[in-house]
Amino acid sequence: MSQEKVTIEIDGRTIGARAGEPLIEAADRAGIYIPRFCYHKHLSVVASCRMCLVEVERAPKPLPACATQVADGMKVATRSAGALDAQRGVMEFLLINHPLDCPICDQGGECELQDQALGYGRGVSRFVEGKRAVADEDLGPLVATEMTRCIHCTRCVRFLEEIAGDQELGGMHRGEQLRISTYTGEPLRSELSSNIIDLCPVGALTNKPFRFRARAWELLSFPMVSVHDGVGSHLSVHTYQGRIQRVVPRECSTINETWIADRDRYAIEGLAAPDRLREPLVKRYGEWHTAGWEEALSAAVAGVRRVLEGHGAAGIGALLAPHATLEELYLGGRVVRALGSANVDHRLREGDVSDQEQAPPFPYLGGTIAELEQADAVLLIGSYPRHEQPLIQHRLRKAARAGAQIMALGLRRFAWNFELAEEHAVAPQHLVSELAAVAQALGERKQRKLPQALRGLPGGSVSEPARAMAKRLLAGERAVVLLGNQALSHPQAATLRALAALIGEWSGGRFGVLAAAANSAGGWLAGALPHREVAGRPSAEQGLAADAMVRAQLPCYLLHDVEPEHDLWDPAAADAALRQAEHVVAVSSFASERLREVADVLLPLGAFGETAGTYVNTEGRWQSVRGVAQSYAEARPGWRIWCALAQLLELEGFAYPDIAAVHAEIAGACRDVQPSSRYPAELRSSGATSADGGSSSAPGRASGQGSGVTLALAGAVPIYAGDALVRRSEPLQQSPLAARLEAVVAPETAQQLGISHAETDEATVRVRVQAAAAEALELPLVVSSTIPAGTVWIPAGLAERAQLGPPFGTVTIEAL
Amino acid sequence: MRPLSEYLQSFLLVELLRGLRLTGRHFFSRSVTLEFPEERAPKSPRFRGHLALRRYANGEERCIACKLCEVVCPAQAITIESHQRADGTRRTTRYEVDMFKCIYCGFCEESCPVDSIVLTRLDTYTAEVSGERVLNKQQLLSMGDRYESQIAADRAVDAPYR
Ligand code: SF4
Ligand code: SF4
Ligand code: SF4
Ligand code: FES
Repeated sequence: MSQEKVTIEIDGRTIGARAGEPLIEAADRAGIYIPRFCYHKHLSVVASCRMCLVEVERAPKPLPACATQVADGMKVATRSAGALDAQRGVMEFLLINHPLDCPICDQGGECELQDQALGYGRGVSRFVEGKRAVADEDLGPLVATEMTRCIHCTRCVRFLEEIAGDQELGGMHRGEQLRISTYTGEPLRSELSSNIIDLCPVGALTNKPFRFRARAWELLSFPMVSVHDGVGSHLSVHTYQGRIQRVVPRECSTINETWIADRDRYAIEGLAAPDRLREPLVKRYGEWHTAGWEEALSAAVAGVRRVLEGHGAAGIGALLAPHATLEELYLGGRVVRALGSANVDHRLREGDVSDQEQAPPFPYLGGTIAELEQADAVLLIGSYPRHEQPLIQHRLRKAARAGAQIMALGLRRFAWNFELAEEHAVAPQHLVSELAAVAQALGERKQRKLPQALRGLPGGSVSEPARAMAKRLLAGERAVVLLGNQALSHPQAATLRALAALIGEWSGGRFGVLAAAANSAGGWLAGALPHREVAGRPSAEQGLAADAMVRAQLPCYLLHDVEPEHDLWDPAAADAALRQAEHVVAVSSFASERLREVADVLLPLGAFGETAGTYVNTEGRWQSVRGVAQSYAEARPGWRIWCALAQLLELEGFAYPDIAAVHAEIAGACRDVQPSSRYPAELRSSGATSADGGSSSAPGRASGQGSGVTLALAGAVPIYAGDALVRRSEPLQQSPLAARLEAVVAPETAQQLGISHAETDEATVRVRVQAAAAEALELPLVVSSTIPAGTVWIPAGLAERAQLGPPFGTVTIEAL
Repeated sequence: MRPLSEYLQSFLLVELLRGLRLTGRHFFSRSVTLEFPEERAPKSPRFRGHLALRRYANGEERCIACKLCEVVCPAQAITIESHQRADGTRRTTRYEVDMFKCIYCGFCEESCPVDSIVLTRLDTYTAEVSGERVLNKQQLLSMGDRYESQIAADRAVDAPYR
C-alpha cells in the first residue's frame, strides 16, 4: 500500500486517506460507520457478506466498501437512497436463513446481526418458505457452536488460517449447502482458538463455559491485564453480582492487538475450584481447624517468632510467586528483610542464577513487543512461545510472514505455526556448547574472540546448524535473539544468558529475555530477590535464591501463592524442605492436598480480579489494575495480608492506608531504573563453564545396574500448567492442549530400550523412570523424532512427576 | 319570622324525615354490594393481577431464561439466574418476583417471547411473613398450573387484538 495521501469525499465530508487503502478503513477513521460483517481490520478482505455496499460516484453499481480501494477525488455516499436500498436488500437476504432464536442465543444483546437488523431489517419477513438448518459442530470444550446461525462471513476461517496459523475450519459444500466445519470432527487445537468467539458477528460461535450464564446487558465490564505470561495482554473482565463471569480481549495495538490466548480467557473457570481456600486454617496436632483471621495471623506470627528465637533470622525464607502483584512481591520482600533475613525470591522455576549480581535491573525483552514484528532474523533459544507467550508467537509469526528468518535452537522440535529458517534440537547438556558454537561462528565472521570465561565451550569444530544460524543472524538488518522459558530454567541458564547476550551484540541486533510469568520482571523491580532490594538497590545482606533456599532446608518458609509440587524448580527438594520445616505459612488462593500436608497455617488469598495491583510485563511496561470482583468468602488481598503480618510482628513502616501508597513507594524508587539486557560475559561461578550439564554419567548409554538406559531429562511447563488458576480451569484441562504426562523419546532411544514400534502420537507401552534416589515413576512412552537422541522429554511443572526433581537432569529408563 | 319557621321545622322533625326518606328509598332499592369472599366483581380478560409462570401442554416449563422480562421490568421486581440444563436447553435456576415491588404494569408479559410470565386475574392474596413477598420459580409455576385454563382462555379472547 502506498503512503500517498489523497482526499476523498464521504457523505459530503472531505477526508484524507492513503491511496489504495480500503474505503471502509478511511471511513472508520473519519468516524463514518458503514455496516459490515465479513470485514475485520486484522484479517484479509474477502468481501463476501456485501453488507458494506456504498454508492461511489460514476460506478455503475453499489460497491463493497471493504474491497474498494481509495482513489483520489472519490465521492462516496454511504447513506444515499441507493446505498440504503442495497444494504436493506442484503440484510433481507441474510435474514432469510437466520433462525429467530435471539431469546436463547448468548450473542443476544451484543450481536452485530441484531444491531444491523434493527437499522436495516424489515419489521416482518417476506420469506415464508422453510428455513435452513445445519447440523452442529463440536469444536471442543472452549467454543460452543450453533451453526444454523452462521452467516458465512468466514471471519473464523480466516482467523484460524491467517492469525492462529492452522486451517482448522473451512467452508464445506457450496451454495445453500455451504457450511463452516472442521470436516474432521476434531476439536480446535490452537492456543488462540477462542478469539473466533469475538470475531463471529452472530451467535454461531460462543463461549462454551459461559454458556447461558448471563446476558450482555447485565454484565459490568472492567479493564484488567492477563497474569498467565509475561506479555500482560489487555483484558476486560465482565462481572455479574460481583463474580467474574467471562473475559474478553481489550484492544491494545502495542501488546495484544485484538486477540488474547485461550489461557487468558478461560483461566477464570478455576476461580471457584473445589479446593479454593475459603477461610484461614490453622493446623493443630496434625488437624486442620478453621480460624478467624486474627487467630490465624497470630498463629503464623507465633511460629515465625519461635523460629527467630531458635534459629535466628537466617532460618526464615520466603518464596513468592512470580505472578503475584508488584505490591505483594515488594511487601513480602520487605517483611523478610525487616525480620533480618534476605532469603526471598520469586524466580521459582530457575535453577541457575549465578549471574544475578551483574544482571540488569530486570529481565527485559530488549524492546517493545510490537517491534518484534519488524525483526528480520530471530534466534529463539530454548523457547516455544506458542505455548509460553502465545501473543509473542503471534508477532513472530507476523514477522515470519513478512519474510523474517526465524531460527530455533532448543531442546526438542515443536509444532511451529510458521516456517522456521533453521531448527536445531540438542540434548540439554549440549545446549550451552551449541549456543557457544553459534557465538564462535559469529565471532569468526566478525573477527572477535569469545571472552575468557566462555572459551572452550564448543566441543570441537563449530557444527553446521550453528554456522547457518550465525550466517542468517548476520544477514539480518534487525536481528533479535530471544531467550525463552526452557533456557531460563536450564541448569546453566547464566551461561546461556551470557552467550545469548553476546550473540545479540555481535549480530548487531537486540537481545531479550521472554518473561515467563506476569511479574517475572516486576519481582526484580520490587526487590523480591536475595541480593537486591527495590529498584535494584544492593541488599545489605545476601540471602539465598529460591533453589538454594529449598536445598538449605530452612526451619521456616513463607509461601505466597506457591504450590510447591508444581511451581518450584526442584519440586522433590521443595517437598523435602517443607516437610522438615518447623513452620510453614502459606498465603494461597487454593489449598491442594500437598500444600495441606506441609503447611501449618493457610491464609486465603484474593485471586485474579479480586485484588488490585500492578504487573510489569516483559517489555517493562507497568500496568495497574483494580480489584473488580468481590472477595471470595474470607479471602483477602495479598498486600493486606503482608501488612497485617508485619504489624503483628511489630515491624516498622507497614502502616499503609491503601494500595496506592504501596504502589507510589515502589514507583518512586523505580523512577530512574533504565531497562537493559546487558548480561556479564565474565561468569563468576566456576561450575557454569563445564560443557556437559554437570551430569556424572554420560547419558544415552546403558548403565551398569539393571537393564535401564540412562538418558538426559528435559522438559518444559505445558501451556495449561503454569499457575494454580490455569491448572484448575476445567475447560482448559479438557482441551487437546492440556498437559499429558508421558515420556517422549527419539526412535533411536526407543530401540535402545528394546522397543521397536513405529513413531506414534499415542502411547502404547509404559516405562519406569527413575531419578537419583527417588521412587521410580511409571509413565506411558511416546516415540517421536522431535526429541534429540539420548534425551527423554517429560513435561515439567506437574505434580505427578514431582519426584523426578528439576526439569533437567539424568534419569534411568526401563521398559516395562 | 325566620327564627319561628326554623323553630317549627325542627320541632316537627322535618329534616329528620327528609333524611329518612333517602334511607327509605335505598332501603327498598336493589343492593350493589358484593359479599366479597363469596361474590366477586366481573373482570376483563386483560386484568393484570398476580404473576404466574406457564407451562406447555406436555408439562415443560415455557421460560427459556432470555431475561427480557427482568430487564424490562420498571420496578426491578424480577431476578433471574440461568444455566444450561442437562438436556442442553437454556433454563432458569432461579426466577423470583418481589410482589411488593411489582407494579402490575404487565411489561414482563409483553416482553416474553414464549408467553411464559403472565399476569393472572388473581387480585387477592396476602403475605404473612416478610420473606413471603418474594415468590420463587416453584410458586410461580404452581400458580400457572392452577389457573392455566383461565389464563389460556383470557389470552385466546385477547388474541385478535394483539
Ligand atoms: S461461524 Fe461466525 S465467524 Fe464463522 S463464518 Fe459463521 S458467522 Fe462468520
Ligand atoms: S408487572 Fe411490571 S412491575 Fe410487575 S414484574 Fe412485571 S414488569 Fe415488573
Ligand atoms: S419469563 Fe419469558 S421473558 Fe422472562 S426470562 Fe422467561 S422466557 Fe424470558
Ligand atoms: S464487510 Fe464488505 S463485503 Fe463484508
